[in-house]
Amino acid sequence: MSCHDLRRNYGKLVAVNGVSFDIRPAETYGLLGPNGAGKTTVISIIAGVLQADAGQVTVAGRPITPRAIGAKAAIGYVPQELALYPDLTGRENLRFFAKLYGLRSSETKRRVDEVLGIIGLSERAGQLVSTYSGGMKRRLNIAAGLLHRPNLLILDEPTVGVDPQSRNAILGNIETLAREGMAVLYTTHYMEEAQRLCDRVGVLDEGKLIAEGTVRELTAMVGEQDRVRLTVAAEPQELARRLNASDLGHSAAVDGNEITLLVKDAPTALPAILDLAGQTVRSVIVEEPDLEAVFLHLTGKSLRD
Amino acid sequence: MKELTIAATSLRRTLRERSSIFFLVLFPMLMILVLGVAFGGSFSPRVGVVTPHTPLAERLADSLHAAPGIAVVAVAEGSTAIASVEHGDLEAAVILPADLNTPLRYVVRPGIQGQQISSIVTAVLDREEARLRAAAFVAAENGLSLPEAQSRVDAIAPQFPPAPVDVTYAGPEPARHGRFDAMASSELLLFMFLVAMTNSVALIESRRLGVMRRMLATPTSTGTIIRGEGLARLSVSLLQAVIIMVGSALLFQVRWGDPVAAALLVAAFAVVASGFGLLLGTIARTSEVAIGAGLLLSLGMAALGGAMMPLDLFSSTMRKVAHLTPHAWAADGFSELARHNAGIADIATELAVLWTAGFAVFGVAAWLLRRRLARQAA
Repeated sequence: MSCHDLRRNYGKLVAVNGVSFDIRPAETYGLLGPNGAGKTTVISIIAGVLQADAGQVTVAGRPITPRAIGAKAAIGYVPQELALYPDLTGRENLRFFAKLYGLRSSETKRRVDEVLGIIGLSERAGQLVSTYSGGMKRRLNIAAGLLHRPNLLILDEPTVGVDPQSRNAILGNIETLAREGMAVLYTTHYMEEAQRLCDRVGVLDEGKLIAEGTVRELTAMVGEQDRVRLTVAAEPQELARRLNASDLGHSAAVDGNEITLLVKDAPTALPAILDLAGQTVRSVIVEEPDLEAVFLHLTGKSLRD
Repeated sequence: MKELTIAATSLRRTLRERSSIFFLVLFPMLMILVLGVAFGGSFSPRVGVVTPHTPLAERLADSLHAAPGIAVVAVAEGSTAIASVEHGDLEAAVILPADLNTPLRYVVRPGIQGQQISSIVTAVLDREEARLRAAAFVAAENGLSLPEAQSRVDAIAPQFPPAPVDVTYAGPEPARHGRFDAMASSELLLFMFLVAMTNSVALIESRRLGVMRRMLATPTSTGTIIRGEGLARLSVSLLQAVIIMVGSALLFQVRWGDPVAAALLVAAFAVVASGFGLLLGTIARTSEVAIGAGLLLSLGMAALGGAMMPLDLFSSTMRKVAHLTPHAWAADGFSELARHNAGIADIATELAVLWTAGFAVFGVAAWLLRRRLARQAA
């Protein structure tokens, strides 16, 4: 998938402003941004649901627009909402979308069974979707986008409102699909999901792609460092002063009996820090830099804003 | 044919609703049965007759019994007869005189029915009066007693039958219709339109659930989706028509006339009804609004268009107004098919109006739905 200089306005509101990025086969690309950043608009343009004011999208070498009906067969779109009929069974829902994706009858039956197996819903396939749990509905929602073996799978916040077990299953499914060669475009609010799944991440804010790269590249790009949190038995202020005065780290801050210190490389610096703190240390927590910190650094906003 | 997939899925969802069996099958049949029993066929008003024990009164009572169009009920006392009319147990009462010097007393409630019953009673009395006058003349001319003269008059009466009258029905002709025929075509129009309107909820749900937006992300054109949704509304309306026509023919022996012409008429009305259903499903924002507006429009247009009361009972002005609705044109068509054994050529005007209206409404609905889908995608 390649998109170049995508632009889209809603009246005077600039929703997408010159967004460009590529996704290679078997690559999982995470699009991060807070609500209103323009993620869904970008995804809608790439899925061929929405017409861009300017810019081009190509998937598998074919341009994508709302009128490019045939080219949409290369895309599997999984919207954020549960776009399923609750009064049909899981199998009936999949058959319906399989027909819309142009699968023939014999192929439909085989592929529906395969996809039900992939998402682990074979045994419940004959039951009404209204009887499914939230996690099962989410899995079925994803399955409807896989039926035609798309080149590009677009997932818009696919784990919203699901329990940890179902979320883990969904992430496992996506990892498997990517390993099998499918390109995945993924949006989420959950940093741990992006860090687990995404080969590369694009950070979107106010309609612009403000940074792009692997998680490691992004954290390095903003100079984010490890955080060491020490819980001490006594005199935290004095220890914080001594740590700031040393070359082990900087920006030591005190909150009750806890000291937070930024260090360049925690595993290397930790023995010297503990040596300086002495017997007063009760616990140590090391936090590596994450995308939340990157986002905060780049935009001054939390991803959940 | 992705249109068929969309329509079949919508139809499956509709039929899966348990209430559908009631509203599509049981309710229309029940309405035809109840209305047919209540208002179909002929009705004879009950007339109470108080008869003193005199030859004259008994002769008049026998003549009233034999009169067509009324059902005579013997009542012992005049006061009882008057009270029964007041309470509505009888439509009218006649208190017969014991002799020719006493006036006959006719008791009736005001209204057209009272006048109709009065005409029947008066006709009977006029005939008896003529017989008595003839008998009195024969008695005077021949020196006979009155009973002897009456016997002679009765003997030669068959030689002078009443003047022949040929009645031609210009409006409804009940005798040639089954009890349920008129009700069945009225209920057909009412329910076909009603089911198309209330089924617009399925379209709104598809939009609300995001399924329609997801359909746009598949290799399916907007035109295909619109045609599929239109076909879905059409199939529900046609299914309703088949259920009512076949069910009423089998259960109540309703005659629908020329089957090809009836099928064309039903198809035309189904296109109009489903066009309105598609329009409502496109315009209404919520299912609640669609159901409320659908019921209001369906019942309002049915009442105005003669699907609740025969157009023959409308004033000429109201008949013109009624023809602003598709129901009136369809009702005219069914009336022609059933009453006059009409064929396609005889209902060409009705067919042309309905097909034109159907395509026009469908076109407007499709255009609005296309705009709505474009907005929803954004």
